Amino acid sequence: MSAAELALQQEVHDLYSDHHGWLCGWLRRRLSSSFDAADLAQDVFMRLLARQRPVEAREPRAFLSTIAHGLVVEHWRRRELEQAWLETLAAMPQAQEISPESRLIFLETLLEIDRMLDALKPPVRTAFLLAQLDGLTCPQIALRLGVSLATVERYIARALRGCYAVRFGP
Amino acid sequence: MNVHALPQDVVDTAIAWAVRLDYNDAAEDVRAAFSRWLQSDPSHALAWQRVESLRQPFAAVPPQIVRGTLEAADVLRERRTEGRRGALKLLSAAGLSLGAGWIAREHAPWQRLLADVSTATGEQKTLRLADGTVILLNTDSAVSADMTSERRVVAVRRGEVLITTGKDAQSPLKRPFWVETPYGRMQALGTRFTVRLAEDGARVSVQEGAVELHPAAGGASHVVSPDESRWLRHDRTEPADLRGFEADGWSDGVIAGKNIRLGDLLDELARYRTGRIEYDRRVADLRLSGLFHVRNTDQALQFLVQTQPISVRMRTRFWVLVGPEEKD
Repeated sequence: MSAAELALQQEVHDLYSDHHGWLCGWLRRRLSSSFDAADLAQDVFMRLLARQRPVEAREPRAFLSTIAHGLVVEHWRRRELEQAWLETLAAMPQAQEISPESRLIFLETLLEIDRMLDALKPPVRTAFLLAQLDGLTCPQIALRLGVSLATVERYIARALRGCYAVRFGP
Repeated sequence: MNVHALPQDVVDTAIAWAVRLDYNDAAEDVRAAFSRWLQSDPSHALAWQRVESLRQPFAAVPPQIVRGTLEAADVLRERRTEGRRGALKLLSAAGLSLGAGWIAREHAPWQRLLADVSTATGEQKTLRLADGTVILLNTDSAVSADMTSERRVVAVRRGEVLITTGKDAQSPLKRPFWVETPYGRMQALGTRFTVRLAEDGARVSVQEGAVELHPAAGGASHVVSPDESRWLRHDRTEPADLRGFEADGWSDGVIAGKNIRLGDLLDELARYRTGRIEYDRRVADLRLSGLFHVRNTDQALQFLVQTQPISVRMRTRFWVLVGPEEKD
């Protein structure tokens, strides 16, 4: 273990002993379950340990709550998508035939799609989904949305750039 | 993320190729140029591989599941955001049109997913859907369309549209065609008809075929026949009086009417203009017939001055006052 890694560990350790209880309370107020709060608090510190650089936070609680806030948002997004997925399955009679393994893979894939689409603006997302889900070409999408071909091509490129950034980093 | 980062311009070029090759019908010479680019540098091949991999998740799950889940998630998320904006919701529910819009949003989860098409004041636009349906939007109007494997749904959110339903030849089963409005829904039965939203209802005029109206609050449904006009209200339907106007004249760019009130005509013209037209009660009941072009309302006003005992003053370009003829 390098000196830098050791320093980081010590730093996270100190943050943990000083602020873990406070962070759990902060999270409990934002989540309905104290189990989820404890899990997310754990996640916050795991994230810190995975960093390449030291933390050096001047306002440790503001710093921790910023990270925690991002995790809370992610947590809700995941919850909502899971619920949406269950509702969709319930509404589909043929869903009975989907095996448990496929269900798990589908859910993971849907979460990934959701993450990729999250930052896209509505028209970009619409155009991109018409291409991906309905197999429409750019000229067909242009007709369908009543916008120019150049606009649709710009939307698709923007969508791909957004998805690329989510998957491979900016 | 622990992957080898590529220069942004290489990634952008790979994306531009993907747009041309994967999302368009690419010609042979485009493919040849692409393959030269691909082979000219190892980083190109890697960028291409990554961009192509972005499509994988979409191919891994049946499209109707992806769409269904995303739509349902949108509804849940909207509900959560709205919960947080409770106060705002109460405020907007106080205003009738905003309140109606709110109802429409709650009942139409797919609206966010499929882009709205809208027109500005004075603008008209034609929208062609994949099933062959053609929707003409009148001035200051907005619609969204959603085509699933089971049904076709068009939501009229604002203004007025002329819908000519398509034959839906490519679909294995003939999907029902629904129109959603804030006041209820209607089912088109092979048809051409106009829908116009007002503050307290949607007015439907059928030119061909038939349309069945279903009030949102569950009142009796009603089938509207050709050359008939009817109001779809929240809890009932009732006959609509067009007051001498043709329901679909605007689709030819005109307001057409026989023995119409001048006041009604000015109200109609005002829909195509930015700003307002005010008129004196003394001229409101004058009767006239004719065609008035909606694309040039200044000219229509001028024509009225020449043919009717009225005067038109423009306080500003956006504020028109119509009164009795000024005798000098």
